[in-house]
Amino acid sequence: MTAVLEARHLSKWYGNVLGLSDVSLALEPGITGLLGPNGAGKSTLMKLLTGQMKPNLGQALVRGERVWNNIPLFRDIGFCPEADAFYEEISGWEFLTALVRLHGIGRAEAAERAEKALGFVELLADKDRRIRGYSRGMRQRLKIAQAIAHDPAIIILDEPLSGLDPLGKRKVIHLIRDYGREGRTVLVSSHVLPEIEAMTLRVVLIHQGKIFAAGDIPYIRDLIEKHPHQISVRCDRPRDLAARFVGEECVLNMSFGPEGRSLLLETFKRDVVFGRLPGIILETGIRVEEITSPDDNLQAVFDYLVGK
Amino acid sequence: MATIREQGYSHWDGRLIERKRPWWPLTTLGIRLIFRKKNFRLLFALSFIPAVVYLVGIYASERMEDFKFMVRGSAQLLKIDPAFFKSYFTLDPLLFLMVMLMVFACAGLISDDLKHNALQLYFARPLGKRDYLLGKSAIIAFFVLLLTLIPGLVLIIFKLVFAGSFGLVRSYPWLPLAVIGDSLLLTVFFVCYTLLLSALSRNRRYVMVMLFTVYLGTDIAYAIMHSIFKNPYFALLSIKANLQQAGAVLFGQRPPHAFPAGLSFGVILAFCLIAAWILQRRVRGVEVIK
Repeated sequence: MTAVLEARHLSKWYGNVLGLSDVSLALEPGITGLLGPNGAGKSTLMKLLTGQMKPNLGQALVRGERVWNNIPLFRDIGFCPEADAFYEEISGWEFLTALVRLHGIGRAEAAERAEKALGFVELLADKDRRIRGYSRGMRQRLKIAQAIAHDPAIIILDEPLSGLDPLGKRKVIHLIRDYGREGRTVLVSSHVLPEIEAMTLRVVLIHQGKIFAAGDIPYIRDLIEKHPHQISVRCDRPRDLAARFVGEECVLNMSFGPEGRSLLLETFKRDVVFGRLPGIILETGIRVEEITSPDDNLQAVFDYLVGK
Repeated sequence: MATIREQGYSHWDGRLIERKRPWWPLTTLGIRLIFRKKNFRLLFALSFIPAVVYLVGIYASERMEDFKFMVRGSAQLLKIDPAFFKSYFTLDPLLFLMVMLMVFACAGLISDDLKHNALQLYFARPLGKRDYLLGKSAIIAFFVLLLTLIPGLVLIIFKLVFAGSFGLVRSYPWLPLAVIGDSLLLTVFFVCYTLLLSALSRNRRYVMVMLFTVYLGTDIAYAIMHSIFKNPYFALLSIKANLQQAGAVLFGQRPPHAFPAGLSFGVILAFCLIAAWILQRRVRGVEVIK
């Protein structure tokens, strides 16, 4: 099957600055998170995949076709850039209608679609206000609206959650998840890891212009065998629990959390530890409040991969 | 195995038209935005004064008896021939008004897009660089042609109507072509001039100042050099002088400056080529980090 979005040995440099180095990647429908710190090359990759920049080496492909200078392909791509890109003097509705019309859609249809997209991002009530008067969150939502208004099958969102309040973030996350469920190909970047985690398990980690890892989060986590897993047990008697685990070979290391209210176990055999835990708890009568895996999140995976 | 997904959305059922003019929405939006400026509307109305004066002139030329007390010894001025049209197209105030229209209406055409990072939104759509520049050029062309081609043709038509004969067209059958030619020359020049300066800065105010000072500055430079060296070739430095020189030739009149008019055409052409080259480099969807 041809990947919807594909990067083949993509490289891009700006003078002496390396933006992207030999990146190969194939994305299928659904949501993919593009993660990396600022300056990692996320935006460069997105701009190459949306055909806004020509790669120095390699190819950026959309449905198997080169995207650079392939203007008809752009009809099916929705791009939300990181930076604001508005005419401040016009209303959100006018802005959106004008952009939709650039897709070759007639005036009446464009107006209808603009209104629908504004409804999606809950800006319908403010559609006739000048963009100058929009808050940061409203601008962000308007940017997302312009990316989805023409009903593209491929949506590329560069930091779509930045500047949104928690409620706004929640709404946008739901929206993106809906698009992913509908079978659209959504590539969404962020440097805030929990945001991506809330949208998808499929991630691409990028750093210094290179792909460090790509796949589902648990898969990536399993790749990092040299780092033990952490299991935190918050309970009333963590020292008693530690005493029971001392003899277990599956445990590599143990430490106590702040205020002595939790035990942090480090192990290469997470499943064995999880298998032993319920029995020990029942035998000792320890009252457990919470069992978590503090490193089973993207931040930990990312830290391991970049060698922090 | 590939994931099976819920195809909950439905694609748009309408017919996606392959537009021959993908830049047209840019033009209409641009013109609409320009007319929202109150100050501009006043200037726009004022810029038709020369055309109205010339129209009155044509009317008066056909009613010489009625207007004898006004014209007195200046009857030659109201002789409607190519020189009359040339004088309209090369009129100092008309050229100045066109520059002012560019200053107040078109200075931000590209600079605003650069300032607001709008280019990346345009170029993420089925719109190429050429379409973008065409869309912006059409806005400038709209205003320049409104002050040149439309009045030029209207003046010819009114002359025919007032005279009640085709005498003017019979005597000078190439006159409509000259009107079209000079209008196109002015349009091409102002498109290149305005877009070039607009692409040089993200700040619209700087562009406004540049549009004004470059036009006046080149003319002042010519005046200074000419007064010192008494050499007519220094008129090649002046935007206004070159446009007037080329305009005179198009209307079959004696050029105002004593050098081959081809040189003025050459200067205008060279300027437009340089502008196109710079625009090609300046207009791009993404920031280039240096």
